[in-house]
Amino acid sequence: MNLQVLIAPDRRAPLPAPLIVVEDVAKRFVDGRTGRVTAALEHLSFAIREGEFVCLLGPSDCGKSSVLDLLCGFEQPTEGRIVVEGGPVGEPGPDRGIVFQEALLFPWLSVFDNITFAPRLAGVPAALYRPRAARLIALMGLDGFENHAPYELSGGMRQRVAIARAWISEPRILLMDEPFGALDAQTRLAMQEQLLIAREATGATVLFVTHDIEEALFLADRILVLSGRPGRVAREIAVPFGRPRHYEALLTDARFGRLKRQIVEELRAG
Amino acid sequence: MSRLSLLHRALLGAASVLLMLFVWEAASRLSLVDTLLVPPPSEILATAADLMRDGYRQTPLRDHLLLSLARSLAGFGAAIVIGIPLGIAMGMAPVLGALVDPFVQFLRPLPKLALIPLVVLWFGIGETSKILLIYLSTVLTIVVGAAAAVSQIRRQQLRAARALGARGFTMFRFVILPAILPDLFVTVRLAFGIGWTTLIAAEMIASEAGLGWMVVNAGAYLRTDVVMLGIVLLGATGYGLDLALVGLQRWATPWAGRS
Repeated sequence: MNLQVLIAPDRRAPLPAPLIVVEDVAKRFVDGRTGRVTAALEHLSFAIREGEFVCLLGPSDCGKSSVLDLLCGFEQPTEGRIVVEGGPVGEPGPDRGIVFQEALLFPWLSVFDNITFAPRLAGVPAALYRPRAARLIALMGLDGFENHAPYELSGGMRQRVAIARAWISEPRILLMDEPFGALDAQTRLAMQEQLLIAREATGATVLFVTHDIEEALFLADRILVLSGRPGRVAREIAVPFGRPRHYEALLTDARFGRLKRQIVEELRAG
Repeated sequence: MSRLSLLHRALLGAASVLLMLFVWEAASRLSLVDTLLVPPPSEILATAADLMRDGYRQTPLRDHLLLSLARSLAGFGAAIVIGIPLGIAMGMAPVLGALVDPFVQFLRPLPKLALIPLVVLWFGIGETSKILLIYLSTVLTIVVGAAAAVSQIRRQQLRAARALGARGFTMFRFVILPAILPDLFVTVRLAFGIGWTTLIAAEMIASEAGLGWMVVNAGAYLRTDVVMLGIVLLGATGYGLDLALVGLQRWATPWAGRS
């Protein structure tokens, strides 16, 4: 119990400023040939605090991936403001880890060289990145596969390498774009559990895009349900389950089914 | 489609060649074909031994082969050294690509033999013209192949690399270059085939030696045995060099086609 809160509630330290702020953002694309404008996002606003695990949930083609492109710095918003770590979104870089739906590993590099790509490129001394790599390799269950080539790995393992590769630079923010969408159900569950364990160990802030309601309920502290195109936050859901979470336990929790139904209804209406 | 093991393939290939040689030899010995027009393999073998000893028109057979190799490798090497960077630059800089493309697309399908008169007028009948012709016939294929290889790299792959901190030179050196390497090998093999084909044409320009010249010259004197020997040597050398390229490709890009 925090005594200070009880004694002097007014002198509590203010909540830390959110790590990511998205304010009334619109993203529109102009078709080069027809000149037609399509809006991927309109009036999108949300904030994410340090250490939060937030899922961005929405129907396919609702502009979910556009949100990540904006946060990474691959694209600029047409309107509105995005603040990441107190400043504007800079060039894409290893300070914001990103994992795509495909692993997108470098096939000419070994698992170890893939994972250590960013620190080696930045000239980080081996003495610094080696222990980090070793820890991530253990955390991601890749022991013994360090010298394997990506094409020798299963889809799930490739995706674990991709996560380790994004995570090695110890980004404060990890952006994930349906990273388990292409995996079979068993592998996906194992990957979700592994992600939660690894995230527990690193305390990273995660923004996770998915169209899978159960995945969002299992992983997130908070779910932002997006509307159909143009995407905006249609509803925000605080996930009430404590951590560590067990998938089997969630399935028997009455709140799980209720929330799932709520979200299904929201998505249908959206 | 069932696949054959490497050994099976090699054995079947060898058997088929041996059968062909046997039928050819038998047809000549049984006088089914005119040996003046179609000399049997045994005679070609004898001619080979003869030419190795005495040479063809004062030049030993080995020198004909080496000279042809030197010419084609010089032209081909120059095409690689110039074509690959130019192609990559075109692939990476769309403006440059748009500027150079019309010339490339005009010259590429042009039969290079049509250039012989100009090349001779401009550069004479020396080695420069022969090497230039081989260079011209291969460089455009390489430019187009290298540019296409760069444009084949997926945007997401480049984005993933950017997110890991790759920029400008490091992006080129550690991402783009290895990513296009498998395609470059395919292009280089293709171009090599074209260059080797052009050799005969190049050596038709007032030569006194070289395999291509030997074939053409021997034809004029009805030495079909020498013609056929030249053809066998041209084919075998091209085949051997291509195999060497395939070996290099397997060694350098073991991931090709598996990712």
